[in-house]
Amino acid sequence: MLQFLIRRLIGAVVIMFLIGAFTFFLFYAVPQDFAALSCGKNCSPENIAVIRENLGLDQPITTQFWNFMVGIVAGRDFAVGHCPAPCLGVSFKTGDFVWESIMDRFPLTLSLTIGGLIIFLLFGLGTGMLAAWKRGTVVDKIASGASIVLSSFQIYLLGPIVLGILVYQTGWMENPKYVPFTEDPAAWFIGLLIPWVVMATIFTAQYTRMARSTMIEQLQEEHVRTARAKGMSRKYVFFRYAWRGSLIPIVTIIGMDLSSLLAGGVVTEFTFDLAGLGRLAVESSVTKDLPLTMGAMLFGAFFILILNILVDIAYAFIDPRVRLS
Amino acid sequence: MKPIRSRSVRAIAIAAVAGSLALTGCSSNSGKEGKDQSKSKDDAAQQSKPVEYGDAKASTGPAAPVAGAKPGGTINVYMQSDMSHMDPGQIYVSDAGQFSNLVHRGLTNFQEDENGNLTVVGDVATDSGQSSDGGKTWTFKLKDGIKDEDGNVITSKDVRHTIERQYAKFIFDGPTYVQTWLSGADYRKALPDGPYKGKHLPDSVLETPDDKTVVFHFDQPRPDLPQALAMAGYSIVPEKQDTKEKYDKAPAALGPYKVADYKAGKSLKLVKNDQWDPKTDVVRHQYVDGYDFTTTIDQTSQTKRLIADQGEAKNAIQWTDSVDPAQIQDVVTDPAVNKRTIKGYQPYVWQMSFNLDKIKDKKIRDAITYAIPSQAMIQADGGKYGGELAGGLFAPTLPGFDPKYDPYGKLKKPNGDIAKAKELLQEAGVKDGTKLTYAYSNSPRGQAQQVIIKDALAKIGFDVQAKEIDRATFYEQIGKLDNPYDLYMTGWGQDWPSQSTVVTPVYDGEQIADGSPNYSHINDPQVNKLIKEALKLEPAEAAAKWEEAHHRIVEEINPAAPVYYSKQIQLFGSNIGGAKYSTESSYIDIDDVFLKQP
Amino acid sequence: MTTLTKTEDAPNPTGSDAFLSVRDLRVQFSTEDGIVKAVDGLSFDVERGKTLGIVGESGSGKSVTNLTILGLHSTQTTSIDGEIVLDGKELITAGEKEMEKIRGNKAAMIFQDPLTALSPYYTVGRQIAEPYMKHTGASKKEARQRAIEMLAKVGIPQPQTRVDDYPHQFSGGMRQRAMIAMALVCDPDLLIADEPTTALDVTVQAQILDLLKDLQQEFGSAIIFITHDLGVISDMADDLLVMYSGRAVERGTVREVLRNPQHPYTWGLLSSMPRLGGDTAQALTPIPGSPPSLLNPPSGCPFHPRCTFTGEVTGNRCAEERPTLGVGRASACHLTAEQKQTIFIDKIQPRLR
Repeated sequence: MLQFLIRRLIGAVVIMFLIGAFTFFLFYAVPQDFAALSCGKNCSPENIAVIRENLGLDQPITTQFWNFMVGIVAGRDFAVGHCPAPCLGVSFKTGDFVWESIMDRFPLTLSLTIGGLIIFLLFGLGTGMLAAWKRGTVVDKIASGASIVLSSFQIYLLGPIVLGILVYQTGWMENPKYVPFTEDPAAWFIGLLIPWVVMATIFTAQYTRMARSTMIEQLQEEHVRTARAKGMSRKYVFFRYAWRGSLIPIVTIIGMDLSSLLAGGVVTEFTFDLAGLGRLAVESSVTKDLPLTMGAMLFGAFFILILNILVDIAYAFIDPRVRLS
Repeated sequence: MKPIRSRSVRAIAIAAVAGSLALTGCSSNSGKEGKDQSKSKDDAAQQSKPVEYGDAKASTGPAAPVAGAKPGGTINVYMQSDMSHMDPGQIYVSDAGQFSNLVHRGLTNFQEDENGNLTVVGDVATDSGQSSDGGKTWTFKLKDGIKDEDGNVITSKDVRHTIERQYAKFIFDGPTYVQTWLSGADYRKALPDGPYKGKHLPDSVLETPDDKTVVFHFDQPRPDLPQALAMAGYSIVPEKQDTKEKYDKAPAALGPYKVADYKAGKSLKLVKNDQWDPKTDVVRHQYVDGYDFTTTIDQTSQTKRLIADQGEAKNAIQWTDSVDPAQIQDVVTDPAVNKRTIKGYQPYVWQMSFNLDKIKDKKIRDAITYAIPSQAMIQADGGKYGGELAGGLFAPTLPGFDPKYDPYGKLKKPNGDIAKAKELLQEAGVKDGTKLTYAYSNSPRGQAQQVIIKDALAKIGFDVQAKEIDRATFYEQIGKLDNPYDLYMTGWGQDWPSQSTVVTPVYDGEQIADGSPNYSHINDPQVNKLIKEALKLEPAEAAAKWEEAHHRIVEEINPAAPVYYSKQIQLFGSNIGGAKYSTESSYIDIDDVFLKQP
Repeated sequence: MTTLTKTEDAPNPTGSDAFLSVRDLRVQFSTEDGIVKAVDGLSFDVERGKTLGIVGESGSGKSVTNLTILGLHSTQTTSIDGEIVLDGKELITAGEKEMEKIRGNKAAMIFQDPLTALSPYYTVGRQIAEPYMKHTGASKKEARQRAIEMLAKVGIPQPQTRVDDYPHQFSGGMRQRAMIAMALVCDPDLLIADEPTTALDVTVQAQILDLLKDLQQEFGSAIIFITHDLGVISDMADDLLVMYSGRAVERGTVREVLRNPQHPYTWGLLSSMPRLGGDTAQALTPIPGSPPSLLNPPSGCPFHPRCTFTGEVTGNRCAEERPTLGVGRASACHLTAEQKQTIFIDKIQPRLR
C-alpha cells in the first residue's frame, strides 16, 4: 500500500510537470504578444519593449520555463519583492503573486464546494437510497421523476430564477456574498446559502439518480441474494451488502465532482457574482494572463491528481480485492 | 480614455460563461417602446462649450455644497472587473479615472457646472497654471495645506517626482503627453531609471525653484497643458510614499478617500482620508464615509440588482459599466427605475476604419461609407440608448460639435444608400465579386455587427471575407502596420475635451507605427500641417483649425466611415443622492454623490 | 379443489412424512411484455434425509421454484399461488420476519457460482458467521469459532487462518466449499443446491458432490438438487423430477426415470447427453426446436411443438389437451403406457448406448 502511494505520488508530480510544460508551451505556440496585450493606449514599439522587459518576456522561452519551474520549488525574486516557494510567478495583469491570488480565491471555492457537497451528499444519496428501498412505489416515482427534471436544470438557469424570487422580487435575502468563515460564521453561512442550495439541487438530482440505480443494481447482485438466503434482514442486506457495493461507483463520481468543484465552479461563481478559482481561471485565460492561467491550471490539476489518489485509497478500503492484490 | 478595449473583454467572457444571455434577452424590443428619453443632440450643445481655464479664485475651496446632501453612510459600487490600476502613473482608463477622483489629486482638475460646462481649475496648484513665453513655459504654485494620507506636506519636489517617475520602465500604461512634450517621443532615454537613482530632469526642462513652485519648459507652445495635467495619470505621487511597482496596490491618498482594503479581482474598500482638507479642494466633497467596491458583478447582475432595488442595492451605483443592453427596455419603460438613471454621451466614435494601404481608391471608401446601415449597427449595440447616428468623426462630447455635419448623408439615410454606393463603385471600375477582408472582434457586439456589414457590402457587390479576431487581441492585431485586413470597426475617445486628443493620435500621419491608434494609416500632408498648427493654439482658437482638419479628413481623405457615437446609460440605487452625468468622465459624477438616508 | 383434474395430482397422497411439500405452485412475473408463467402448477414432495433431483433446461422454472420456496423472489412483480409447506409450516403466506427465521436456518441454499454468490467485501468467516449469529444468537467469538469448525468440516485446510480470507483469495472449489459451510452452519433441515457444481471443473465437481453426500449423511438434511446434468443427478438423487416449461413432466426414482424414461422430453434430454463409454459413432441427438416462450406457452402439451411422437397420439390431443401428471411414478404425456414402452425400447434405447 505504501509503495503504491509513493508510486502514485511520484506519478502525480510527473504529471503536474507535464501539465505545466504543456500549458506553458501551448501558450507560446499561439502567435501573440503578451506585452502588446498588456499595454493600453500607448502601444508604441518602444513601450511594448519596456513591458516585455518588465514581464521577463524578453528572455528565451526555455529560460522563462526554467525560471518558472525553479520558482515553484525554490521561490523567485521579482521587482515587487521575493516570491516564496511554491512560487507560480507574477500575474501579468495585476502584478500579484499568482500563489497569493489563488490562495486568496481558494477559501470561497472551498466553502462553496464543502457546503454544496454536504448538502448534495446528504440529500442526494439519502433520496436515492430511499427510492431504491421503496423501488416501484409512489415515493420512488416522485423521487426519480423529480431528479430527472432537476438534473436537466443548469445552475445558470436555476440560479437566476432563485435569485429573482428570493432577492429581486421579495427581497427576503441579499445577493450571495462571501464573508470568510473566520470573520463571521453566520454571515458566511447566509451569504453562501443560495449558491449552495442551487448548486446542491442539481447535484442532488444527479446523486439521487446515481444512488438509486447503483443500489438497485447492487440489490440484484447474486451475493446480495445469498445474504438474503442466509436469513439476513432486508435492512441489513441493504445497508451492509448493497450499500458497500454501491460505494465504488459513488466514490468515483464524488472524486471527479470534487476535483472539478475545487478547481473552481465557474458557472456557479459567475451566476452569483462570486470570486473564486473558477472566475480566476476564466478571466486569466481570457486576458491571456499566462502566469495566472498556469497557476489555476496547475492548482486544478493538483486536486484532480490528489483526489484520484484519494479515490484509489478509498477503493482499497472499500474493496478487499483492490487492497489485497 | 482609450480605445474601448479592456472593459469589454471581461464582460464578454462572463456572458459566455454564465450563459445568462438567454434569460435576459427576451424582455427587450418587445414592441413596447418607451418614450424616447435617450439624450439627443439638443443636449450635445450643452456639452460642447470650449473648456475655460480658471483663475485662483475659481480654484479656491471648499467646493459648493450639493443641495440636500447629508454626510455618512457607505456607497456600494458594482464593477464587473477589477480596477485596472491604482498607481496614478498607470491610470489611463475611466474606471481608474473615477477612482482617481476620489483618492488622488493632480496639479489641475476639471470643475463642472450644472450644465456640464468645464473649467480647468487648480487642484494641488493655486490656479490652472500661468503660461509665458507664448505658451512654452508654464508655472504652477502649490496651495497650502495639501498633505498625503500620512500627513506629509506636498512640495514641488513631489510634483517633480510625479513627472519623473513616468520615465521609469515600470510605468507603461498611463498617458505620455507631458513626458513627450518635455523630452520628445523617446523620452525614456532622457531619464532611463526615472528619479530613482538620484538623477533628475535638467532645470531647463522641469524646474522647482522653491518648495511651492513648479515650472515646465517646452520647446513649443503647449496650450493644452492644464487639461493634460488634469488627467488622472498625472496625479501626485509623493516621493516618500513611492513604492514603485508596489504602489499600484497601495497608493497614498491626497484626495478625500483612501484605500483601506484591496483584494485583487474581488473587492476594494475606501474610507475617509482625514488628512484631506476641504478648504483646499474646490471640486470634491466627502459626504459618504466610504465606498465598498465589489468587482465581480457582471453587467447583467448589476442591472438586475439595481432594477430590483432591494437591500444593499439601494445604496449602490454602477461605476463605469452601463445598463445591460438586454435590460434597457425594462429600465426606461418603468418610470420608477428610469428616474434612477443617468444618461449622456460617451466620448467614443465608432467608425469603420479603412486600411489605406489596401483600399487606395477614395471612391471605394466612399461607396462603403454610403452603404453602411448605421441604424442597424446601433441596434446591434443596445439600440438608441447605446448609440446615436454619426455624421462625422468628432464626438458630441468635443467642444464645437456640429450636429448637422453629415457629408455622406449618414443621418438622412441611416439604413445606407446602396444606389449611391453602387454608382460610385461603377465609376471606380470595381467588378462584382471583388474580395474585401473585414476583421472583427469576437465580442457579441462584433459578431452581431459582422453580419450586418457582410450583408450590406454583399449588396453592393463585394465578396466579404470576415475574419474573426479574439477580442483580447483585436486592437493588437489591427494595430499592426502590415495587417492583412481591408477594413475594421474601431472606437476612439478623447483624453480631455479637446480635438487634439482625437485627431493627433488617430489621424496624424507622423504617428503611424506598429500599435499606434492610426488604424487607417492616413498620412495627409495637409492634415499633418493643420495638426501642427492647431496644437500651438489656445483651445478657443484651435477649435477652428481642428474643424478644418476634421473636414479635410472626412471629406477629402475618408480614412474611416463615421458610424455612431456611443451613449451612456447608468443606474443607481434609490438611496443615492446627487447622482448626475458628468461631462468630464461621461459616467456618474462621483464628486457629488451622497446617501439620502445614510 | 375443483380444479383438481387440470392440475397434477399429489405425488404422494398421504404426504404425511414429506418434510417439504409443494402443491400446485404457480409463479407469475409481470413484465413489460406481459405475464410470464415461470412455474405453472407444480407439485412435489421431499422427504427428510432424501435428495430430490430436479432437471430441466434453463427457463424450465427449476430455479424460480426454489427461490420461491425461500421467498427470495421480487415481491413487487411476482404473484404466487399454491401451497408450500415446510415441516408443517405454510411459507407462501408467512410474513417476512418468519421467512427470515427460516432462511439459512431451517432451509438453506447453495448457489451455482460461488464467485458471484459470495460478497467480495467481507471475509469468508464473517459471511459464514453472520447467519449463525442471527439464528442462534451466538456471540461474535462463538460464531467465528463455528465458522472455523464449518470450514474444517467442508475440508478447507488451515481454517484458522483461512477464516479471515476474502472469497477472492479462495480457489473456485474452496469457494464452493465455503458456500456449503455457510449453508450448513445452522444445521438446516432442507438444503437447496442450485446447480452447485456447474461452475466448477470436473475433478472439483466430484469432490463437492462427495462432500455434499457426506454432509447429508452427517446432518440428515433433505436436499433439493437442481441441475441440468443428468450424469450428476444419477449419482446424487433418490427421486427425480423432470421439468419443462414451468411444469413437471416426469417423476419417479432416479433409477426409474433414467433407466426407463417415459416422457419424450426426458428421452430428448438423455439422447442429447454424451456418455462415458458410449458409442462414439452414435451421434448425439439434440432436441429439435427451442425452449418454449413462457410469455406465450404453446397450447395443450407445452412440449408438442418439439415432440416427434405427436403423430402416435390419436386426434389432435397433444395440441389441444394438456396432459396431467399422475401420482407417484408418472409422466405427463398423451402416449399410452404401451406406446411409451415400445417407442423407448425401439427407438430411444439404442441411441443411449
